[in-house]
Amino acid sequence: MFMHDLRLALHSLKRNPVLSALMVVAIAAGIAASMISITVYHGRAGHPIWWKADKLYAVALDNRDPDSANAFARFTRHPEYPPLQVTYQDAKALYRSDIPTRSVMMFRANRVIAPERDGEKPFATAARVTTADFFAMFDVPFLYGGGWSRADDEAPAPVIVLSKYANQKLFGGVNSVGRSVTIGDTRFRIVGVIDAWMPQPRFYDLNNNTFDLPENLFLPWGWTEALQLSTAGNSNCVRANAKVGSFKELMTADCVWLQFWAELPSADQRDRYRRFVDNYTTDQKRYGRFPRPLNNRVVDVDEWMKMYDVIGDESRIQVAVAVMFLVVCILNTFGLMLAKFLKAAPISGLRRALGASRMDVVRQHLIEVVIVGLLGGAVGLVLTFMGLRALRALNSRPFPGMDDNPARVAIQQSLTNLDFQMFAIAVALSLLTGILAGLYPAWRIGRLTPSTFLKTQ
Amino acid sequence: MIEMQAVGKVFRTDVVQTHALRNFDLKVAPGEFVAITGHSGSGKTTFLNVAGLLEELDSGRYIFDGQDVSKLTDNQRSRIRNEKIGFIFQGFNLIPDLDIYDNVEAPLHYRAMPAAERKRRILSSLEKVGLSSRMKHIPSQLSGGQQQRAAIARAISGEPRVILADEPTGNLDTMMSNQIMDLLLQINAAGTTILMVTHNPELAQQAHRQVHIVDGRIDQIHHYNPLRPTPAVA
Repeated sequence: MFMHDLRLALHSLKRNPVLSALMVVAIAAGIAASMISITVYHGRAGHPIWWKADKLYAVALDNRDPDSANAFARFTRHPEYPPLQVTYQDAKALYRSDIPTRSVMMFRANRVIAPERDGEKPFATAARVTTADFFAMFDVPFLYGGGWSRADDEAPAPVIVLSKYANQKLFGGVNSVGRSVTIGDTRFRIVGVIDAWMPQPRFYDLNNNTFDLPENLFLPWGWTEALQLSTAGNSNCVRANAKVGSFKELMTADCVWLQFWAELPSADQRDRYRRFVDNYTTDQKRYGRFPRPLNNRVVDVDEWMKMYDVIGDESRIQVAVAVMFLVVCILNTFGLMLAKFLKAAPISGLRRALGASRMDVVRQHLIEVVIVGLLGGAVGLVLTFMGLRALRALNSRPFPGMDDNPARVAIQQSLTNLDFQMFAIAVALSLLTGILAGLYPAWRIGRLTPSTFLKTQ
Repeated sequence: MIEMQAVGKVFRTDVVQTHALRNFDLKVAPGEFVAITGHSGSGKTTFLNVAGLLEELDSGRYIFDGQDVSKLTDNQRSRIRNEKIGFIFQGFNLIPDLDIYDNVEAPLHYRAMPAAERKRRILSSLEKVGLSSRMKHIPSQLSGGQQQRAAIARAISGEPRVILADEPTGNLDTMMSNQIMDLLLQINAAGTTILMVTHNPELAQQAHRQVHIVDGRIDQIHHYNPLRPTPAVA
């Protein structure tokens, strides 16, 4: 019976090739527009370290004074959120806790690096100044060597970790562990080279370009004060009249903001750590800090990305507009389908006379509807591929000051990748679109009195 | 085979209602060949549609093959149409995209019938109407007479108890009409009850009975063809 219905459906589609093609094109256009938007949304909404979703926690402390909090409310959708970074002195205090399995305080800085090889020009690049646990906490893969120890942080030891790209640029990609690079007046011994690593979004620091590559240099924390490194991020002071004359004053005046993460695998650790954070801020009130009610956050990666609104209104609006366009396409297809089915009503009437039940007629038309949906989906997928390629090419265009790191292309690929999940959604959406457009016409044709058309066929 | 008791059928629109059948009483015995005649709009086709369970009756009672079919569900009516009734139409009503073989097969798809049995019945039906050599042709490649023979093959492939023919020769010339009539008489001689709507008095006179309808009522009944024994008729 199914094969018979399938043959009738295919014959029906061939009977009106233009009308059939119009329906397929309408569905294809809707599917393509939707899938391009949904794929980009999916790329932005991905979990960069899902296997540690319940272990990694970002910390935020509300040290705003009441007045600045009110002013802040005018510029943010969530004035209830505390600042999403912690100050230098708070980070150092939190870092002393032994409750987390690991904890990391860090910031991004720009440095100029001088290659050892003759004839190579020094170049500016992004560096991450961090404590030792960064690499283990975020499961950073190493191509050569490894990270450094907490003792190296405290010394600070002149050691450095390079990205794969920096190692390629400085040493042609060979194992450079044990060799040196110079930053300022200091020579750093290379202890590790990171393999390809590109968490998207770059969750550990969402302040400077959410969808960007990790830094090329990684320096031990202790070099912050030794080299008087300044952050490439936020240096806005919390209080008026803060003294920022010297580097030390700047660092202790609640003006330098950085990222703080803790690895808390167990619920007990999380509870204890939250109490510790609250106790710390309560204690700080004695010194006139944290004037507002307690509003600290210790949140997992998912919540952290929501607080930063990583997906963004732009992506959401694009999806909404694309879905509305799909609805318009469904309505168009609905009209075409109804016209087509009514035109072929005499054949349905004949089939009813020959013994087909209403359900037989509805089923045969639904098979036709599903075929149209799947054909539309197939064409829509081709258009989606083309659209995503165009989008990738557009976003991969070089901009002034951009490095030649080939991984930038990979970022765009990851954000516009039509993976299996997206493919499955496209197929399901095609079926749903076809059925939504054709369900009523199929039902309607099944309800017609068969004798109406037999005399006039 | 067919017994209608005071059957009424009314078509309603927002402004008018038309009584297509009024207190219609008719009995047709198994194996009988009945010609239905009447002017246009007299109710012939409505009678055939009600008899063929394509239309529901509004009043009265309809016994088909010993079963009261007045209040059956759509599925039950579809099943009876499929298993016990064959239709032949003036316009042939073949599915234009399917070849003759597939057209004849169409009603058999709605039965749980093995493919081999379907094939046997199709070939047998096409053999009876003389279209074995045309089974792979699509309808538009055949003449009007051949198309009607294909429609007859489709009607008899299900081995129905009754064939309802609505002006089966209406679109054919005299020679073709006679061929189709001969075919129907052969089928009837084999035991199948036939009700045929026609405007052609010569064809009507070849039936056992002619029922003349006027304004949805039986006006006259003529008994013909004494050469062939008429089955018991009420």
